[in-house]
Amino acid sequence: MTLHASVASVEGGRTALVSGGVRLDFGDLTAQAAQIAPKFAGRRVLLNLSDPVAALRALAAMDGQAAAVVLSSPALDAQTLLDFIVPGNIDTILTDRADLAAAGVTVVSDPAELHDAEGLPASTDWVMTTSGTTGAPKLVRHSLGSLTRSTRTDQTRGAGQVWGLLFDYTRFAGLQVVLQSLLSGATLVVPPANLPLEGKLADLADEGCTHLSATPTLWRKILMTAGHEALALRQITLGGEIADDAVIGMLTRRYQDARVTHIFASTEAGVGFSVTDRRAGFPASYLTDPPSGIGLRIADGHLHIRNTMVGDSYLGGGARLAQDGWVDTGDAVAMQDDRVMFKGRSSGVINVGGDKVHPEEVERACLSHPAVRLVRVYAKANPIMGALVAADIVAEDGAEAAAGGAGPLREAIKAHAAARLARHMVPAFIRFTAAFETNAAGKLVRDSGKDKT
Amino acid sequence: MNSQAISDLDASVRTVFAEVYSGQHFGAPAPDLADDTVLLDTGLDSLGFAILVTRLEEDLGYDPFSLATEAFYPRTFREFVDFYAAHAPA
Repeated sequence: MTLHASVASVEGGRTALVSGGVRLDFGDLTAQAAQIAPKFAGRRVLLNLSDPVAALRALAAMDGQAAAVVLSSPALDAQTLLDFIVPGNIDTILTDRADLAAAGVTVVSDPAELHDAEGLPASTDWVMTTSGTTGAPKLVRHSLGSLTRSTRTDQTRGAGQVWGLLFDYTRFAGLQVVLQSLLSGATLVVPPANLPLEGKLADLADEGCTHLSATPTLWRKILMTAGHEALALRQITLGGEIADDAVIGMLTRRYQDARVTHIFASTEAGVGFSVTDRRAGFPASYLTDPPSGIGLRIADGHLHIRNTMVGDSYLGGGARLAQDGWVDTGDAVAMQDDRVMFKGRSSGVINVGGDKVHPEEVERACLSHPAVRLVRVYAKANPIMGALVAADIVAEDGAEAAAGGAGPLREAIKAHAAARLARHMVPAFIRFTAAFETNAAGKLVRDSGKDKT
Repeated sequence: MNSQAISDLDASVRTVFAEVYSGQHFGAPAPDLADDTVLLDTGLDSLGFAILVTRLEEDLGYDPFSLATEAFYPRTFREFVDFYAAHAPA
């Protein structure tokens, strides 16, 4: 069933979406989407909209018409977005920003401006952008079917549900919330992005939000923000980072009427699974008796997940993702009694409150400081953000004395890195050391998956 | 925890807060902390707060955020100090 058909099957009078004072019911959404749907037939569209109402309308119109829709975050810079055109074979850009233009590509802010498409309605590829393992975003092909494999579509249950969206809807976690809400005929509340968290929580409470999903880091921040007590939550979902027992326990005590679920999902795999027993990690029994038809196994310390519906390659000729339907999630895991516990990314990528940090990028920035001879960047476990960036540095001879001591040199290197990196990537902790362990190939030993404390 | 220990803890938190705040704000001096100052309203965001907690763990040897079994997180400066006092190892 297309997204449009799903939306059309909900009672027209139910509220589909509330955002910044705009309310759209399912009947209006169905009608508005139908009006613009033929414009998208056969097109390959890069969607970059900051207005969630326009985005939802476009998605409901495109599915089953466009050949592909690439969901891209409004937070990405123009060059990154333009780099999607070739691998995505994009012919149309739908955007409410002004800095996207490319030869041979139609750019519009309103689908009504599009000429009637010459192509034929198509089964639509939903293309997600992932930050990948080398830093440059990659495109991963999915379909509505693969994205909604574990979505509940019971519209009777959905009737009383109000879903809050605090994630970017173009990211996997956010899209799951959007699709879950739409397909079950629930109401989706999207607080305006420019509100501070306190305002967003007030907005969600005013609209009677019952279902809310956020990263563990954001949940901790919510629990430290005035007004969170006013939320009458029935379902709490944690995703995007490793959820620990402390935050799960805190939410369980604070919202006693709510089910607390943490989900594991990877953009590459296209689906995830949820854990509802209010403990970190997942039961070892999932390896033999997995949830909702997916497969889980551990190989070489990595979690592999089976989803036969995932597109088997990155668009634009990247490495193959799936082998016999098994996808390496890149997450290092370890058995701990009867639980499988997440230990971090096998690539060494550090997840700082949901933002990925590539250690190599931080190392390059540090190495460009003249006093730094060698550097090794790693994750330091943290109860608020999951992890912080830490660096061990071998300084050039005499550099410490020249800077006036270890403290001033540490601050100088941090300032140097801060001028070159996003805030969450700057090493929060720097330790000076005399030498590093290297392996036989002379490469730095990166003990991935192990947090150093 | 006796009153001397609490006052030492209070001083430690103020010192580390000031260092972390300045580190996150290009050397700008940290604001004064009153009992009812909401820490996340001082200009210290989640990242700064996270660094504060890890720095305190290095200084004090424990991290109450991983130990807590209450149904709340501290919001104000006083709640924050009390939170650390309540979870100090015996």
